[in-house]
Amino acid sequence: MRGRWAKRLGMALAVTLGMGSAWAADTVKIGVVGPRTGGAAATGKAFEEGIQIALDYVNSHGGVLGKKLEVVFEDTAGSPDKAAAAFERLVTRDKVAMVLGESHSSAALAEIEVANRLQVPFVVVEAWADPITAKNYKWVFRAGPSNSGVVNETIAKWVEHEGFKRVYIVAENTDWGLGIKGLCEKALKKRGIQYASLVTERKAQDHYTELAKIKQFDPDVVLAFVYGTGLHYFIAQAGEVGLTPKAVILDGAGPPSLWPDFWTNVGEYGDKECFVSSMHEKVELTPLATHFRKAYIKAFGKKPSDYKSRSIFDAILIAADAINRAGSLDAGKIVSALETTSLEVTRGTVRFGTTKGGPEYHHWMPPMLVIQWQNREQVVLYPPQAATGKLKR
Amino acid sequence: MFSLAVVNGLVMGTIYALAALGVSLVVGIMNVINFAHGEFYILAGYFSYLFADALGWPVAAAMVAAVALVFAAGVLVEYLLIRPTYGNDMYSLILTFILSIVLQNAYLHIFGPYPKKPPNWVKGATNFFDQFYYGNQRLVALAAGAAVIGALFVLIKTTWFGRVVRATSQDREMAEMNGVNTVGVNLVSFGLGCALAGAAGVILSPIFPVTPTAGVAVALTSFVIVVLGGMGSLWGCVVGGLVIGLVESFGATYVSTGYKHLFDFVILLGVLLVRPSGLFGKPAA
Repeated sequence: MRGRWAKRLGMALAVTLGMGSAWAADTVKIGVVGPRTGGAAATGKAFEEGIQIALDYVNSHGGVLGKKLEVVFEDTAGSPDKAAAAFERLVTRDKVAMVLGESHSSAALAEIEVANRLQVPFVVVEAWADPITAKNYKWVFRAGPSNSGVVNETIAKWVEHEGFKRVYIVAENTDWGLGIKGLCEKALKKRGIQYASLVTERKAQDHYTELAKIKQFDPDVVLAFVYGTGLHYFIAQAGEVGLTPKAVILDGAGPPSLWPDFWTNVGEYGDKECFVSSMHEKVELTPLATHFRKAYIKAFGKKPSDYKSRSIFDAILIAADAINRAGSLDAGKIVSALETTSLEVTRGTVRFGTTKGGPEYHHWMPPMLVIQWQNREQVVLYPPQAATGKLKR
Repeated sequence: MFSLAVVNGLVMGTIYALAALGVSLVVGIMNVINFAHGEFYILAGYFSYLFADALGWPVAAAMVAAVALVFAAGVLVEYLLIRPTYGNDMYSLILTFILSIVLQNAYLHIFGPYPKKPPNWVKGATNFFDQFYYGNQRLVALAAGAAVIGALFVLIKTTWFGRVVRATSQDREMAEMNGVNTVGVNLVSFGLGCALAGAAGVILSPIFPVTPTAGVAVALTSFVIVVLGGMGSLWGCVVGGLVIGLVESFGATYVSTGYKHLFDFVILLGVLLVRPSGLFGKPAA
């Protein structure tokens, strides 16, 4: 009697589990990692928005391998240990085919080790530190800016283009901040431009004493590699101590200058501030950028501002395209498909580098702009062929 | 640079002291370490933002209402969470730790990840002898912080409530035998401790806009100051706050802000090596 019940229970369990895996097989799962809490939680919100629009787009265009695409989003809080654990959970618990995302270099550097160990394709979206792709891991790609790309192609050339003579670099003590500071120093030295620099605490609120040092140097431009709310504090306080408008501040990351509370927090001191961005409110490089803007307004009732929602949108399209061309969820085949990507997204056509030896390996660098706030309007300053106005001081 | 470091150290130290006084009061009277102290600081900032910015109230009214609401929230937390744990300090520690995490997530859901800033009371900056500019909002914060600290000392040293509080913190059983309602003292003291964090929050949030997790650093600094000044010593808090404010300011000026927490740690370690009970704490019998 007991044996019969045990058999029935076993069969019921088998049927339930079978149904479970059948349901799971109705979708293809990919993972997204990024900060939903912590100092850069705004990025998590931008990612969520981009994911929603990307899933609508991909699933209304046939999905992936004839199935619906599903995204599992894990919070990394910008912390390397949480990031590594989150990445591992996505792979072992959620059985995702590949992972995308991240916007903290320190977190991404922890995640690429997990991707390499578990042999899971990982497309980094907005973590800029060079070693992420310079380590030349087979499983790691980057569809977004790198520190060397942003410095050598945009920031250093812009500094030279504007004729700035004295530059001050302020960098937060993170992998991104320290890495981009070193690259800027090298690029400025090569161009014979006078510079000085300091390192600030990532979570610092009070920058008065640092601003006094900067003011003593009397710079034409301050390259501020400070992410998140810290940048708002820095700009407001630079205005209070009278560093600006004599010197111009460049936000070396971009999104914090586009956050909804930017103007509330910095007041009139935000005018004439410059920032690096892969998006301009009136410039759209491809038809997909126009689609994204319209879909975003329809979904959220406002214009897109934080460009990280568009970065993750692009990454999901890249992932869907690679899985479709691979024809299976085999990690090796997905990597091969990613290596031969030629896909138009919102920021141009994605093609990953395949030459080993530097950060260009498995990297696609989108074009970046230098934009200035002029009377709360975005004016493109650099590159010259895209400029919509001139620098105001 | 030197003068700026002094002024900035005094301003930050005063606000640190104000926030730490709330921790010290609760530790001294109830022997409870409130891990959610920083979240009450943030709550006041959010209330202040809501009333002044979203509802358009005058800044002073928004501040008073924010601090009053945080006091009420503190009273509620004491009644619902802390009181049932009397006699086991570990439970209150765990409960306030959980409360801290719950509040951080609640703030994230309600107010979103972006920083929120109540309007400035004053604008612009003052030129100090052509040496440096200093934000007027910070000067007002210094005055407001010092005024609240002064009012607290008057309350504790000269009023009936203050005598009852001091009696309870010195010898709870003796106070009870003399008819003091120590349960009521706990209730009001916990609310007052939270309100002091709230006062620091409303004073500082126009300068440093609040975010869901910004309270963690405030609580950490407050705990360091309380230990540095001596557990339960109000004067110790004031001196400890000023010491930490000045050390951080000079450290940032002459070394780097990158070592801010290291400076706090070194100064704390140095004092504890010489005086294990803190600057103004009474050595254990």
